[in-house]
Amino acid sequence: MTMKASAFARPGSIAVALLLALGYLTAWAVPPPLPADPLGTVVSLPPASPHWVWVNDFVFPHMADGQALLLDGDNGHFLGMLSTGYGFSRLVLAKDGKLVFSPETYFSRGTRGTRTDVVTMYDPTRLAPVGEITIPPKRSSNMPMMGDAELTDDGRFLLIYNFTPAQSVTVVDAQSHKLAGEIETAGCALVYPTGPRSFFSICADGSLLNVHLDNSGRATARVRTARMFDVAKDPVTEKGVRIGDAWQFVSYGAVMYPVEITKDGGLLPGTTWPLVTPAERAEQWRPGGLQQLAAHTGLNRLYAIMHRGGPETHKDPGKDVWVYDLARHARIQQIAMKNPSGSIQVTRDPQPLLFSACIESTTLDVYDATTGAWLRSVQNVGTTPTLLITP
Amino acid sequence: MRWLDSFAESSTRTMANRTSRRGFLGSIGAFLIGTSAQLLLPVARGAHAADSQGAAKPGGAKPDNSQDPTSCEYWRHCAIDGYLCGCCGGSQTACPPGTEQSAVTWVGTCHNPADGRDYVVSYNDCCGKSTCGRCLCNRNERDTPLYAPFESNDYNWCSGSSKANIPYHCSTARIVAVAK
Amino acid sequence: MRPGTFALVVLGVCWASADAYEPRINYMLQCMGCHTPDGSGEPGRVPSIRETLAPFALSAQGRRFLVQVPGAAQSRLSDAELAALLNWMIQSLSRLRPAHFRLFTATEVASYRRDPLVEVRATRERLLRSTGVAGRAPGNGLGLK
Repeated sequence: MTMKASAFARPGSIAVALLLALGYLTAWAVPPPLPADPLGTVVSLPPASPHWVWVNDFVFPHMADGQALLLDGDNGHFLGMLSTGYGFSRLVLAKDGKLVFSPETYFSRGTRGTRTDVVTMYDPTRLAPVGEITIPPKRSSNMPMMGDAELTDDGRFLLIYNFTPAQSVTVVDAQSHKLAGEIETAGCALVYPTGPRSFFSICADGSLLNVHLDNSGRATARVRTARMFDVAKDPVTEKGVRIGDAWQFVSYGAVMYPVEITKDGGLLPGTTWPLVTPAERAEQWRPGGLQQLAAHTGLNRLYAIMHRGGPETHKDPGKDVWVYDLARHARIQQIAMKNPSGSIQVTRDPQPLLFSACIESTTLDVYDATTGAWLRSVQNVGTTPTLLITP
Repeated sequence: MRWLDSFAESSTRTMANRTSRRGFLGSIGAFLIGTSAQLLLPVARGAHAADSQGAAKPGGAKPDNSQDPTSCEYWRHCAIDGYLCGCCGGSQTACPPGTEQSAVTWVGTCHNPADGRDYVVSYNDCCGKSTCGRCLCNRNERDTPLYAPFESNDYNWCSGSSKANIPYHCSTARIVAVAK
Repeated sequence: MRPGTFALVVLGVCWASADAYEPRINYMLQCMGCHTPDGSGEPGRVPSIRETLAPFALSAQGRRFLVQVPGAAQSRLSDAELAALLNWMIQSLSRLRPAHFRLFTATEVASYRRDPLVEVRATRERLLRSTGVAGRAPGNGLGLK
């Protein structure tokens, strides 16, 4: 409240000022009552930001209560979650952003009874189911892997790995929302898409099973390649990442084994390259973690969780993320993580974030993926976070 | 159940690092069946062995737990990865009441220092209820990725049981034969 | 069992390295986890091998299949160990024991093992029909007792 100096001087003005002050003080002491809030308000999400992240969580102590949690990496806000059934692995985001697919398992009485497997389709703006597709009740129950389920490159077919212990892949038409079929993949595991109508699985002898599909999702060719790596001497982990026309796999011994996709859909072994120097190998530096690699296509960079430990520690989390330029196969950065890291993921945009989680922690850490600077941490995220997925 | 190694091993190791050793063990001490609190830590390998062995009693030799069935260091547990059924109402060979023993399983060999023999040990899971949650124990010798299932501890082997497709509860460690 | 066959079995075992396990132990380590101790498997999930081991071993395509099925081909066993294991399984787990059959050798195993089998289910179904196991009482005209 402002008053002219001259008005303040007159007695009438003083009275007005006093009355106003009294009114103001009275109003401050007893504010008007708050209006009633409407019932049934539900938040609708804005369009997805490239800096959002899904934290998949199989909730190990209570596996019937699988979850996926959505967070905004730019401000640490918890945006919402999905409830995703028993032994949950991962969401698969439709390429056009209009649906979220989730292969799920349910028992009619929670932890017993009749098993039903479905692919639930969720509306990503409302985080609510809009439909489901029943699939054979065979989806593999394992430590969550990205290779448990993937879309073909054009987003037309959803591929789901089965293990009963017989191995096969369920194919779902993601366009018509119908089951397309099941492909036998005996002796081979998981799914790694290579094109609009192709993927491979990794076989126990170190070869790959190259599968091509027709427009109905049926297999037109299933071909075993030559062996890509020596399973007995230095096996690769299942936790490969795709960059352009290659999949990059890392071995227990910290060697990268690229798998190159040829123009006619063939698969060739790329030149292997080490993540460590001989001195570092002697110090037992090796990759570890559950989701141990991440890749940024635009920057052509590979990120790897590293730690020092013996050969049996190939799943251990690490407090270092080392960054490599994929053109030169050279390490360009070493990021000291704030907390032990077991899962990493980067966003796909030109100013990417790096997310880090760990299965025994409920803290999600956010870094600048280019500078390595820690930006923020979000507490209380899930129970046993596993795989990180960015749109 | 042989697919918990990353959770189990890093879980207890990191908790031991973050909390005082007494606090960590004290909070779960109630679950022990008359054994020293030190035994709850999974046997770690390589560079992490120091964590699990660091709690040796002052002035005394590290106790030999290889004959204690409730210990992770029990000789049969050389390749176990899950909750010990002995802490869950069952035993090293028998499932807790109301659960079902899965015939499809992972099999390894362990050395018994008491008689100097190697034994074939079968880690049949007990299935049909939610996870037991007691005595989580993981040992990771010769584990292979999912694409080599015979020796992969990352599968839920309860999925292979005929009455199931049912949830994992705990793990037994059955002797099958002398390995020769 | 003919003396020559017996001698081959003994030699097969003795030539295994000192660190190798007996075939029945290899069965436990490599096969029993899924096929169960007596080979009967889990109905609907893991096929019984008790009915098929002997008939398959008597057929050229069947012998190839016994080696190429992924559980056998991709096991950690050497060709010699896999041969010895198959011979033991045929003689110990078959519901109907064959009077005599040609023992597997490391050479024969190696020749099949080089060729990974992709069509496992279809091959097995063809063999079930061609060896007469499917839809017929076992032992019918197959020289099994």
